[in-house]
Amino acid sequence: MIKKRKIPDAEIPTASQADLAFLLLLFFLVSTVIDVDTGLGLTLPEYVPPDEQIEVKVDTSRMAAVLVNENGEVLIDGNIVPVFKIKDLLKPRIESKISLPLNKKMIVSLKTDRKTVYNIYIAALDQIKQAFFEVRDEYSNGKFGKKFNDLNQEQQEDVKDAVPIIISLAEPESIKK
Amino acid sequence: MTFEKRRAKTKQEIPTTSMPDIVFMLLMFFMCVTTMREVDVLVQFKLPEAKAIEKIENKRLVSYIWVGKDRKIQINDSLVDLGKVEELMYLKRKALPEVIVSLRSDQSVDMGLITDIQQALRKAYCLRINYSAMIKV
Repeated sequence: MIKKRKIPDAEIPTASQADLAFLLLLFFLVSTVIDVDTGLGLTLPEYVPPDEQIEVKVDTSRMAAVLVNENGEVLIDGNIVPVFKIKDLLKPRIESKISLPLNKKMIVSLKTDRKTVYNIYIAALDQIKQAFFEVRDEYSNGKFGKKFNDLNQEQQEDVKDAVPIIISLAEPESIKK
Repeated sequence: MTFEKRRAKTKQEIPTTSMPDIVFMLLMFFMCVTTMREVDVLVQFKLPEAKAIEKIENKRLVSYIWVGKDRKIQINDSLVDLGKVEELMYLKRKALPEVIVSLRSDQSVDMGLITDIQQALRKAYCLRINYSAMIKV
């Protein structure tokens, strides 16, 4: 008669499993990059060769020309203003055009000299964007009772239609040597 | 007369059960310290500050251009000339049509160089750009 052999217990020790899991967790915690890229977003205009460029006349009332010279002085429609005032100057002008159709909305044109420092350009662009964002926030607050970022997709589109961000980067002048 | 040696009755052994743990911890430490960055940034730059900043939601779409304070331009992991920017970015756009170009430029760079890069980007049809900036408090 064959004696039934006793099979030894085949078990994987699981006591260290928790440790292993913790180690893996630690590894992924550490290797994940948390910092998100932040910055000022902008869409550049398409490139059109100089000889194919068509000049489009724009009504001066819907146009705000922001010029920044090499010393960092800002000129809005002929008046010298400090950089941090750009926002306050543009806001009422953007607000006054909320109810108008898209082809009459505010255009902000930003032009710099080749010697302007990048920092001042960013500061000016920041001011312009802030002006647009604040008008958006106020408009959505009045219409939906919420800030722009708390709105749902549909409502955001509605606000975007009312207050589109139109920033025009002026075509650079040919390099003078 | 015999002297009796004084000896503690406890065991004189160092417990070694926790040794693997300690080794693992050390291993982890070195794994963490090792940089996992894909590209080495070869230029020196200090980003400008801004308030109205947005987050780039999709990191996969981002492609970087670094501009150092000595006006050096870096794309991928090598320094390039201004004339090469268009060609390189065109290849990037072909591979990824929705590419967002993040311009990580030093704050003291002059706009002439930035404008030249922007013109190259326009010719390469990379129109979505993002001026990288820190949050101003």
